[in-house]
Amino acid sequence: MSGIRNLIGLVYEGVKDNRLLWLLIIGFALFPIITHFADLPFWNDVAMRIMLLGMAAMGLNLVLGYGGMVSFGHAAFIGIGAYCAGISQFYGITNGWVHLGFSIITCGFAGLVIGYLALRTSGIYFIMITLAFAQMLFFLFVSLEAFGGDDGMSIDRAEFGFIDLYDPLRLYFLIWIALVVVGMGLMFIVRSRFGVTLRAIKSNASRVEAMGLSPLRFKIVGYVISAVVCGIAGTLFASWQEYVSPDIMHWTRSGELMIIIILGGLGTLAGPLLGAIVFLLLEECLPLLLGAAAPAYAENWMILFGPFLIMVVMFGRGGLIGLLSQLQVRRNARSDHRGP
Amino acid sequence: MDKSVLELRNLCKSFGALTVTNDLSFTVEPGEIHALIGPNGAGKTTLIQQIYGAVQPDSGQVFLNGREITGLGVPERVQAGIGRSFQISNVLMDFTVLENAIVAEQARLGQSFRFLRPAFSDKSLKAGASKILSRVGLEDRAMQPASDLAHGERRMLELALALATAPKVLLLDEPMAGAGLEESQRMTEIIDQLRGQVAILLIEHDMDAVFRLADRITVLVEGAIIATGTADDISNSSAVQAAYLGSA
Repeated sequence: MSGIRNLIGLVYEGVKDNRLLWLLIIGFALFPIITHFADLPFWNDVAMRIMLLGMAAMGLNLVLGYGGMVSFGHAAFIGIGAYCAGISQFYGITNGWVHLGFSIITCGFAGLVIGYLALRTSGIYFIMITLAFAQMLFFLFVSLEAFGGDDGMSIDRAEFGFIDLYDPLRLYFLIWIALVVVGMGLMFIVRSRFGVTLRAIKSNASRVEAMGLSPLRFKIVGYVISAVVCGIAGTLFASWQEYVSPDIMHWTRSGELMIIIILGGLGTLAGPLLGAIVFLLLEECLPLLLGAAAPAYAENWMILFGPFLIMVVMFGRGGLIGLLSQLQVRRNARSDHRGP
Repeated sequence: MDKSVLELRNLCKSFGALTVTNDLSFTVEPGEIHALIGPNGAGKTTLIQQIYGAVQPDSGQVFLNGREITGLGVPERVQAGIGRSFQISNVLMDFTVLENAIVAEQARLGQSFRFLRPAFSDKSLKAGASKILSRVGLEDRAMQPASDLAHGERRMLELALALATAPKVLLLDEPMAGAGLEESQRMTEIIDQLRGQVAILLIEHDMDAVFRLADRITVLVEGAIIATGTADDISNSSAVQAAYLGSA
């Protein structure tokens, strides 16, 4: 009993310290009510995409933001996760829990192998090696004709027992629950002794070594955890779009994940999710805005998106989270000035 | 006689044609402060690196409390009982002083692979960390970011982190480097207080500090030992004067 009470205490403490993350997640839970009354079911689809990419970005952020490892190949793990669902479906295994288990094991193993080899290097070499592994896997799946090769394959949505994923709301809340689990897990990890050590290694690996710890081991474990999180997102992604193709693991997606994290706030829990929300909303809205102003240019929405990204990076060190906390500091300073 | 804490036997290391450690043997005895001095380029830091495990010797052996540690890597040697401070102060700059000590405390306890409880709010870790800081008088600075510390305080923090692993022998690589007069005096006092608790191998250019602290002094020139002895022996040695003190 006291174990459970302790755990609840820890959850309470963690949620209290990460209000923004949990506000966003609660926002996702309430969002379908808005779309229902506004009769905009399409936006549920956008929200699911945001949650999935946000989840993957949160996974990558463990190594990128907290561990200081610039992995440019995390799309590969999304792809492996997606193909775990696709290949299972292909062989008639329709149970979604099996897909997830398969994905966790495969991504964990792939993360271990890639991490073990790539983490011997650092800096630009590490970026290039992770990219190279991702490209190898990309072309592996392109070459697998049995699973559709380049064109990919259509798949049915997985079966999660009583959760019928063809009911859009149930799919929505399955993804939401996955987001809660991932958010909770990462919240515990980054605050734990392990997470603190990972951050210490980012800050100064030689000092951590001088404390008698092997930085490589911690980095590999962090890498495996982040690979698994991306794999889970990929598996659900496959069910969501009822389709798997190598496109899902194109190298540009690795870049997209990095942009989402940097936009939201590197090394913060809420940053990647906030980044995913802003990134994908702009992706949806900028073409509409541009289309209204100059219809011929609607496709070229990136012309606005690029400068926006540059501005955030230049003026908001620490991304949108950094901007928010700067505003907070300024507001606090002003109310202090006025006095009680 | 007691067993030596640290013993080097016939250590050799060359980088290409340059011999930086030339058939070097010496010991550090329990509780003593053993200073290693020598002109720039004598191979002091390379020697420390070989004791620490960051550089492997070409031949020769390193023993800690009679146990050979020659082939081990850095983390294993630290666990075996070698502590170290670096020439350029080396702390976790993104963390507060207390957080620095907490990371060291959990590493000492072998608890760094735990995933559930938050580390920085853990009462027992905090208590252990405060104890680490009190050894160098940094308790008052606990909540400061390490990057806000003055140079001397940062060196103190580094010393505290090195002590946190409960080393049997402490390698101090120029702890006074870049410190002001007052900071040097404070550092000298603290090292003096450690005498008897832990064996110390001290590399230092500040001769006042060396002669005040060292129980024994070893003089290294071009990778070889030219003299070992008490402060008096060394200052009266004509070989040392010719090779080192005279030229300074």
